[in-house]
Amino acid sequence: MTDLLPMLRRLFPALVLLLLVAAGLTAASTPVRAHASLTGAVPADGSMVPSPPTAFALTFSEPTSPLLLRLITPDGKSLPLDRFTLRDRTLDIVAPDALGSGTYVLSWRVVSEDGHPVGGSVVFSIGAASGAAPLVADAAEPGLQAAIWTNRLLLYGGLFVGIGGAFFLAWLGAPTRDGATVISVALAIGTGAALLSIGLQGLDALGAPLGALGQPIVWQTGFATSLGKSVLASLLAIALAGASLALPALPARVLTVLALIGLGSALAASGHAGTAPPQWLTRPSVFLHAVGIALWGGALAPLGLQIARRSPNAAATLRRFSRFIPFAVLPLVASGLLLAMIQLENLRALWSSAYGQVLSAKLVLVALLFALAAYNRLRLTEPARQGEARATRRLLGSIRLEIVLVLVIFGLAALWRFTPPPRALALAAAQPAPIHIHALKAMADITVTPGRVGAVNVDMMLMTGEFGPLDAKEVTLVLANPARGIEPIRRKAERRDGLWRIDGLVMPAPGEWTVRLDILITDFEMTRLEGALPIRP
Amino acid sequence: MTRSTLLAAALLALGTGTAFAHVTLEVQQAPVPSTYKAVFRAGHGCEGKPTIKVRVQIPEGVISVKPQPKPGWTIEKVRGKYASTYDYYGTPTSEGVKEIIWSGGNLPDDEYDEFVLRAYLTKDLKPGTTLYFPVVQECPDGAAERWIEIPAEGKSADDYEYPAPGLKLVPKN
Repeated sequence: MTDLLPMLRRLFPALVLLLLVAAGLTAASTPVRAHASLTGAVPADGSMVPSPPTAFALTFSEPTSPLLLRLITPDGKSLPLDRFTLRDRTLDIVAPDALGSGTYVLSWRVVSEDGHPVGGSVVFSIGAASGAAPLVADAAEPGLQAAIWTNRLLLYGGLFVGIGGAFFLAWLGAPTRDGATVISVALAIGTGAALLSIGLQGLDALGAPLGALGQPIVWQTGFATSLGKSVLASLLAIALAGASLALPALPARVLTVLALIGLGSALAASGHAGTAPPQWLTRPSVFLHAVGIALWGGALAPLGLQIARRSPNAAATLRRFSRFIPFAVLPLVASGLLLAMIQLENLRALWSSAYGQVLSAKLVLVALLFALAAYNRLRLTEPARQGEARATRRLLGSIRLEIVLVLVIFGLAALWRFTPPPRALALAAAQPAPIHIHALKAMADITVTPGRVGAVNVDMMLMTGEFGPLDAKEVTLVLANPARGIEPIRRKAERRDGLWRIDGLVMPAPGEWTVRLDILITDFEMTRLEGALPIRP
Repeated sequence: MTRSTLLAAALLALGTGTAFAHVTLEVQQAPVPSTYKAVFRAGHGCEGKPTIKVRVQIPEGVISVKPQPKPGWTIEKVRGKYASTYDYYGTPTSEGVKEIIWSGGNLPDDEYDEFVLRAYLTKDLKPGTTLYFPVVQECPDGAAERWIEIPAEGKSADDYEYPAPGLKLVPKN
């Protein structure tokens, strides 16, 4: 005990020294605030080089040592860059051999002398910016797809057989009423299918399962699409056709013509074909196509019934029908060909795209239908009209077959709901990726067009948190993809037409990107918005 | 163990933390209320360019601001109204210098300099918090480094790329 004090006294300076060094280390390690910033890169950020570089160089504002250097290749692979040399503030990196063309990300993470790690990315393209893989249409759940298809088939059947049938009864079949029951049933089916189609459309639009059909939002969403107008027009046309069945000849004829116009307008108002450019051409074409189908397809059932029931009027009806039908078929064929040409864009798509394959199958069936119709017209109609029993039987059989073919064709056409035409696919590829970020101080609508890998443009609209105008001094977009090991890519935006824009940004990889917007509001005030941006492959 | 080694150790302990690239304060802790001498240290320019202007925003609660004259630099004092009235040794003070601008000089990227002001930290400032002095460093061709980021609650200056120089406030003994 007595020795302790002198010993402590002897050790005192050493203890002080230790304490001071410890304090010094703490002081040195706490305010680690200075970071290096990238002042130059070879290849430059956002640049295009004609041939694969043999070396990369990163120059920083102060000497650094690299922690992690990676090259993300166009196919999404991450190559470690471990051959580098430090030359003052510049980091010379040996490039991997045999780099192909496309967009690369040189992702760097370095530590400067203060000990604070910083990261960033340099995006460059060799030869050309990475394009994108072929696009597949969004697939709905199978049960919903089946429901949508069945609904479409019933809708087509109901509308064409019902409205076309009513027209036939009023104009060609009168005064015989054979087929009125079938037509009423078809109109009823059409009504149900038209109403249900709103809900199914809503489910598809929201990506909701079949079970959600009871929710009002689903129906509101469905009705808000272009289908809403179509359904209204269809229901009006069905009502007109239904009323015509109960009315005398003259008003019935007027109503059925109006019903046909309603049907044509209904189909022209929505769907891939009616909404394809140029609309001044496609809309009338869809209209004529629909009217033609109704006139032909709708006539088959009442005509067949008249013949089958040996109506005394059947011969006269058959003659009127054969005289009239070319006027329906010619516009039908012409408009069909025109629409196919617009939608396909090239002949190869006839077998290479799903849309084209459905069209090919439909064309085969249509050719068969025409062969039957021609056989009826040239070989059976005249003898049947004369009352020849065998010809009448054959004609009936042929009409039955025609009805089946027409229904199969409707079924095929209903498949188009799931096979966007090449034109629409190209359009879907160009769809922008929009995001909305809302924070207390500011909010932003950011649109990346197209929202997929490759060269994109970014438009940003800024507002204050209370939806007022936000007058920013400077806007910087910072994109990173931590899942792929891509450090932040920074781009200053330019102000143009009230929007903040970034041109010529290349999105190097698909997936979920984190987005940060640094908005300089005044010289001394900056606000940050953070969000996520999904980029399609 | 001699006195000189002790001195060297002390110098080592206190001397660290000078070589910062950020604009930082030399003394990072001060009691309230008190008169504080703020020394802003500029370690480098904007991405290689020389600094030609330094702007310091004076936070609320900091009054009676007087910049120290600096050869080669013109000083501008931007005055304005404070958000509230502060007590300066019995004198109610509701307006004063809100920004100090040093301009007309030229500080190359590879040289170091300090910008000094003296101010009074009023008793309205809360001990235990950090007071931030946003600084903008301007360089030719519109380049600028803005040390203006104020850490959100639960974050520290280390979480930011451009943190504003901070002053830790402590109670007066």
